[in-house]
Amino acid sequence: MTNTKADSVGTKRVTCGVIACKSITPIDATKRSLEETLYDLTQAVLADGDITIDDIDGIVVAANDQLDGRAISVMAASGSVGGVNRDILSTPSSGEHAFVLGALRIASGYFRTQLVVAWSPTEAENIPEALRLAADPYFHRRLPLDEWSAHALQAARLEFVAPDAAEAARHVVAKNRKHGRQAFPDLPVASSDGAPFRWPLTRDMIALPSGGAVALVLASDAFIAERKIANPAWIRGMGWAAEPGFLGDRDLASAPGLAAATEQAYREAGITNARKSISLAEVTDATPHQELLAWEYLGLCERSKWRREAAAGTFAAGGALPINLSGGALTFNPVFASGLFRIAEAANQVRGQSGNRQAKDVDLAVAHAASGPAMQYNTVVVLGRSRGAPQ
Amino acid sequence: MSQRVGIIGIGQSAFKSRRDDASYPDLVREAVSQALTDAGLELEQIEAVVYSLSPDAMVGIGNAERLGVDAVGARNKRFLRINTGGSTGISSVAAAFYHVAAGACDVVLTAGADKVGECGDSQSVLNKIWDPTYERALPLGTINMLAMSAVRYMHKYTMDETDMARVVVKNRSHAARNPKAHLRKQTTIDEVMGSRYISWPVKLFDCCPQSSGGCAMVLASESYIKEHGLNAVWITGVGHCSESYYLGDRMGDNVEADHADAFALAHSFKRSFAMAGIDKPDKQVHVAELYAPFSNTEFHAIEAAGLAKLGESPARLRAGEFTIGGKTPVNPSGGVLCTNAIAVTAMVRVAEAALQVWGRAGDHQVKGAKIGIASGNGGDHQFFGTMVVEA
Repeated sequence: MTNTKADSVGTKRVTCGVIACKSITPIDATKRSLEETLYDLTQAVLADGDITIDDIDGIVVAANDQLDGRAISVMAASGSVGGVNRDILSTPSSGEHAFVLGALRIASGYFRTQLVVAWSPTEAENIPEALRLAADPYFHRRLPLDEWSAHALQAARLEFVAPDAAEAARHVVAKNRKHGRQAFPDLPVASSDGAPFRWPLTRDMIALPSGGAVALVLASDAFIAERKIANPAWIRGMGWAAEPGFLGDRDLASAPGLAAATEQAYREAGITNARKSISLAEVTDATPHQELLAWEYLGLCERSKWRREAAAGTFAAGGALPINLSGGALTFNPVFASGLFRIAEAANQVRGQSGNRQAKDVDLAVAHAASGPAMQYNTVVVLGRSRGAPQ
Repeated sequence: MSQRVGIIGIGQSAFKSRRDDASYPDLVREAVSQALTDAGLELEQIEAVVYSLSPDAMVGIGNAERLGVDAVGARNKRFLRINTGGSTGISSVAAAFYHVAAGACDVVLTAGADKVGECGDSQSVLNKIWDPTYERALPLGTINMLAMSAVRYMHKYTMDETDMARVVVKNRSHAARNPKAHLRKQTTIDEVMGSRYISWPVKLFDCCPQSSGGCAMVLASESYIKEHGLNAVWITGVGHCSESYYLGDRMGDNVEADHADAFALAHSFKRSFAMAGIDKPDKQVHVAELYAPFSNTEFHAIEAAGLAKLGESPARLRAGEFTIGGKTPVNPSGGVLCTNAIAVTAMVRVAEAALQVWGRAGDHQVKGAKIGIASGNGGDHQFFGTMVVEA
């Protein structure tokens, strides 16, 4: 993310990088309160960046009232993330929007650092019931329509338009499950039950929601240079876009919002051939069908080649372009925070901090974060090991 | 620093108790249409939207911003939502400001609406902002929360209930001149003192109404404004600051943030004043729109803004300094005491300050106003946003 318009008034460009990422997977609500979890996470991410809370200029937090069982649930974070007497903003639309706002705040030149935190879900006893409250109260709520039902309608439409999608989706599930066992060996083994869930989705095509929290520290080029931070993941491009709220207004086999977000991010990053430029991707896969749409709209794999490329292992560990080495949301699904997890995973790959799932030579990675029914919100972030040429 | 950011369009509903003629998205669209007309722009020219909405439960729809995507014309565009409780509106303007200051966009819309008068019982919703274990069960609401602040302020300084009544009389007389205000009927000290107690010492007339309506603003970069020959006023100061989540941390004689005062609001103002180059606000500021939903809180807001020393504002109010025609008019629109559609209440503060320095405030215009300030309070008197607007 580079402020390219600042030059027009003779001021300095600001470029932004990710200097620390940490997550908690999963949150054990029986042992630690939300505040304790967020405090531990904040301390861990500050240590990861080799900085202290005094180095943090501003904070952006994201949480969802329905999943937390609180009104204005971001309030609870004030103390534990170091927000008292700090400039703190919050967004309830998605975890990844906190990242967007943090990056914008640094590019504005008014902040040198931003702590970005999201968590979900914590206290909702019945997740589908909580998410059903998001459906329009007059037309859709009584269907009933929750996010999985919307995801299933998207999968059905995609399989109708692209018959290969069903088989390709099975390959995606197998790939991400295998990645997930490597990345998170301690997580419970995912269901291999092929029983119906929301047709055409089967039980093994989704991960039930888990509590998770993720935090990143973003910093300006000046801060990174001053602290001699060796391995930031530079934000080379960023795009975000929304689609309409009514499913009936959308063709669920297409993703124009993701297309718009990709166009913004790739334009900033100067990417014209993503398949050639990108070394690794982390994409939202609340269902395997969503991952397939991401392959297509991120320019990584045309729809006509889904089945062939999936079967060939192109996007598996060791393949030409690994996708979701973390196992994706099919392995660990903290719903509202899942998108920010994707960005953190991609950033850690670029930083060389991915441990048991680190890929070799990740020069340029793309993260795709999606939220809402059938990917209503899409955010695309391109992260690079080098700062990149001026735009 | 980056180039200047201007306000080029403002829209607000005529706020009422109910708007049976308009759905929730209709209300948002009403404000958007007014703001676009004011700016002389079409929706196509808007590059990004920041959606302003506080607790979902207030409109009874989870992530209700999703149903507003089309209402604000954000289909396939950059879109995110802000929620910092009552300060959401000013936080949304700040987020829109960062979009432009970062160089990511030239023209950004921020918009929202609320139907507080139709939500059933707003205090039942607002009780859910507190921690479910420690403070929710007291039971706390925002009225008794700030009644405790009144008692504490009375204890520390010299305010009495008649002083509180004077704030109501002043603001109602201002609202009578503002056609957009909700409570426009003038009142007297006797009438305020004779109204029933809601939570001692706060009486019915000391409380804000529950309003329905929307607000929208269009922000643009200085280069865009100059290139297109547009009229604008400028956002020269932006700041936020937070207090602790737990109200109990602000009680007692040895706390840093005394509940009588507005500790973090003062710090937020220090940040926005530093950015705007204001070091003597009592001499430099011409007009103030300060978030004060209960009469007593206008006093500590005035003091946090540096317009009076701690404890001095009741006497200066008695001297007429804060009335239109006085030294520094406070809430010439009638303020939150006369209009409170929570999602946009703090945006209305910025909009009204902007109209004042633009010389477009009509019958409630403060003569010669060139520097205006605005504030918003959210959470449990926890999140504070402030802004400086200049002609």
